[in-house]
Amino acid sequence: MQGPLIDTLVRQGVSRRTFLKYCATLASMMALPPTAGRAMAEAMAAARRPSVIWLPFQECTGCTESITRSHSPTLEGMIFDMISLDYQETLMAAAGHQAEDARLAAMKDNAGKYLLIVDGSIPLGLDGAYSCIGGRSNVDMLKEAAKGAAAVIAVGSCASFGGIPKANPNPTGAVSVSDIIKDKPIVNIPGCPPIPVVMTGVLAHYLTFGTLPELDDKGRPKAFFGETIHDRCYRRPFYDQGKFAKTFDDEGARNGWCLFELGCKGPVTHNACATVKWNGGTSWPVESGHGCLGCSEPDFWDAGGFYKALSVPADPLKIAAVAAVAGAAVGVGLSFANRSKKGAAKSAHETTTLADLEK
Amino acid sequence: MSLDAIPIHVIPHHASPAAPGEPGLTGNAPPLLRELAEQVRRLLESGESSAIDLSALPLSPADLDWLREKLGSGEISVTLQASGESTLKETACPGIWWVTHHNEQGAVTAQFIEVAFVPELVKAHPQDVEIGREQLELLISDL
Repeated sequence: MQGPLIDTLVRQGVSRRTFLKYCATLASMMALPPTAGRAMAEAMAAARRPSVIWLPFQECTGCTESITRSHSPTLEGMIFDMISLDYQETLMAAAGHQAEDARLAAMKDNAGKYLLIVDGSIPLGLDGAYSCIGGRSNVDMLKEAAKGAAAVIAVGSCASFGGIPKANPNPTGAVSVSDIIKDKPIVNIPGCPPIPVVMTGVLAHYLTFGTLPELDDKGRPKAFFGETIHDRCYRRPFYDQGKFAKTFDDEGARNGWCLFELGCKGPVTHNACATVKWNGGTSWPVESGHGCLGCSEPDFWDAGGFYKALSVPADPLKIAAVAAVAGAAVGVGLSFANRSKKGAAKSAHETTTLADLEK
Repeated sequence: MSLDAIPIHVIPHHASPAAPGEPGLTGNAPPLLRELAEQVRRLLESGESSAIDLSALPLSPADLDWLREKLGSGEISVTLQASGESTLKETACPGIWWVTHHNEQGAVTAQFIEVAFVPELVKAHPQDVEIGREQLELLISDL
């Protein structure tokens, strides 16, 4: 498939208006000005497909699942027609030496220009022997492939921050892409798994403007990770009113009140679940009645327990006042008095302190 | 990462939030009317079309209702079937269009107010017209 993208799409029965509409929606999701939708459509329609090499390392294939099963069979998948995916172990028909040859050929033919996508963390223990492909360690392959890449996209919390393989005690010595590669632009798209549209959004941005989108201090695209789950949560008004579910089957839970006291990590988690949602916009964890696990933040696995309430007081006086009003004083008071005794608290709503979360 | 402070405050049940008047209004909608007036002026003077992305603004459902009610409805309503339905409705102010995109499941994916003589999506692209012409010629050659 050569030639401008729009021709490819037309051959597949995708109309120009469908494409324009897709670009307008994508621009809106990426918080670009409305006129950018049109610019995107024009640039992408004319774009030649960049070569993409996708390396899976120490991972569970959940990221690939998430992205390939997004809104199929519609436009989310369409963006994959805009790239030439030259190597992806899980998806490619070739196997063994043929697959490795395809990777090497793509790297050679597109030197300096291809995009490198990585999912999974990279184990450094025992000289990288914990995870090898075709007899070569992940760390070797990453260094080799990154050398000729225009940019590296780290998909998922493992590639972005080390993820679950890095969880204490990190038996394989797992690290993130940015721990190894220092001389290339890196975009982190964390999440366990990440939201598909974030990934397609980054690709679309690259195809349209030839650059990577604006990133925050953790290398994440600001358009999707600029706000916390809590900021955009539809249950936020209940938090503001001091209405909390105390257990998963109480009156508050049935009324859809805030899950903060049940350990929701929404207030410290930057991601777009609350606005983009999951499974084609069907629902998302909080809407299903469970708090956010914080899966797109570094070291979420070791952040002190999924069902322990956050306790991050900014203004103690204010919090104390609210707690009294809302009847939520138990946890907050404890964390103030007993920062050092976190393990000893027997209360069902034992709080996690700031120190716990940052360790 | 330093964990940001979680600001907590209590909104008493009886007090109405933010804007005066109806409950649910944030007061963010009225300034949009001024913005639209400016965009309409630009359209008339230079022919430049523009748009406001409604999902990018902090507008409550009540704000959107207020805005829609104020702008009213005009004579034209266009429905587009392109991976889900899209509606482009002229408001009572000609040149201002309320554009809503739905996905195949019927959920709203994006919402804009577009200021243009004709919304961009409605126009046929010359390349598509070209394809249509070829099709016509085929039809004629079959006669």
